[in-house]
Amino acid sequence: MSCAHVREELGGYVLAALEPAEREAVAAHLAACPDCAAEHARLARLPALLAHADGLEIPAAPPAVEERLLDRVASERGAARRRRRRVRRRRFPAWWRIAAGVVAGAALGAGVTALVLHDGDPPRAASYALVLRGDGGASARAHLSPGRGGTELHLWVKGLPPGADAVYEVRCERPGWSASAGTFRADARGRAYVVLTTAARLGEYESIRVVRRSDTADVLTGKLQ
Amino acid sequence: MPVLPRPADADAVLVDRLRSDETGEAMRALYRLYGGELYGFALNALGDRGAAEEIVQEVFLRAWRNAGRYDPERAAVRTWLYQIARNAIIDSRRRAAVRPGLPQHEPVDDREGRASLEQAMLGWQVAAALERLTPEHRQMIRMAQFRGLTMREIAAHTGLPLGTVKSRTWYALRSLRLVLEEMGVTPS
Repeated sequence: MSCAHVREELGGYVLAALEPAEREAVAAHLAACPDCAAEHARLARLPALLAHADGLEIPAAPPAVEERLLDRVASERGAARRRRRRVRRRRFPAWWRIAAGVVAGAALGAGVTALVLHDGDPPRAASYALVLRGDGGASARAHLSPGRGGTELHLWVKGLPPGADAVYEVRCERPGWSASAGTFRADARGRAYVVLTTAARLGEYESIRVVRRSDTADVLTGKLQ
Repeated sequence: MPVLPRPADADAVLVDRLRSDETGEAMRALYRLYGGELYGFALNALGDRGAAEEIVQEVFLRAWRNAGRYDPERAAVRTWLYQIARNAIIDSRRRAAVRPGLPQHEPVDDREGRASLEQAMLGWQVAAALERLTPEHRQMIRMAQFRGLTMREIAAHTGLPLGTVKSRTWYALRSLRLVLEEMGVTPS
């Protein structure tokens, strides 16, 4: 039996799936050929490992856990950010920030003022997170970040009337002004995760409102602080 | 057919991005890669869907909180997540043991429970490795190893020439070994 032939038989040999005569021929070759024996040794432990996986079928990852997980991460991230902000505020008291802003603005121009404000206040131009609330336990978490020519809006919604198959519209608004960010539907359990973009820029609007398209009834509202 | 393993680095990059990524996309990607097998592992260990879902959520939360401490030199992402899952399952069993009114599963002797968890972890990782093979390779291994068919019986069953079955089985095992090595799985 040639080495090439034995290599072809090794898979069946390792898995004990050869006929008795074939098995004996391979065993005899392995006893005499160090190269083939080394190749056999590399595969010989696999059946013992495979035995642990017998009957195991990998299930789908539960989608409900995915949404709950993202909710938890976002809320922990928000809590951590609030803690950091409190620490920063303690480090730079309000009077110091105002004085620094005035001095820097007067002496060096708006660029430096923006830097100082950035230290104390979350910048409007950077990303922004807020919570939207509505009737009947509906709520949403929105994450806004400046996108190309507007805002990219990630919205995690829960608690909408289940199974309603309603179309909802997201609007970015300030008094007397409104821009649509697009529409979405919730799943059968009243949850949704959507990514929308709008031409409205951060700073141009003060609140996010979700309305039901069929009757423009308010469903969720949240104000940018 | 060559197996193209997912570069382990790609997963380490995902973990690295977990803390800074505010969109949640890194977490979502990591969950979709590993959520299924970790859910299978937890469901198998606890025998309760609700409890298994809680464990999986806890695993990824702990991963998120401790992402800064993950060292890709020490363990692959999968191994790290399984270790977190094992600890979460042990914690859950302890909690269930002190709340006999809420039995989630049979009480398990601690040492025996840990040993069987190690075996189960190994099993699920091998199952994940099998999933990474081509369907043709996976079929050969399943039929020979799990159904106990000989090469000749597989040839008859599939209608493939005997030589093809044999060479495919050999390539399947070589691919499996490579995937397991890449995953950092070794026999205990």
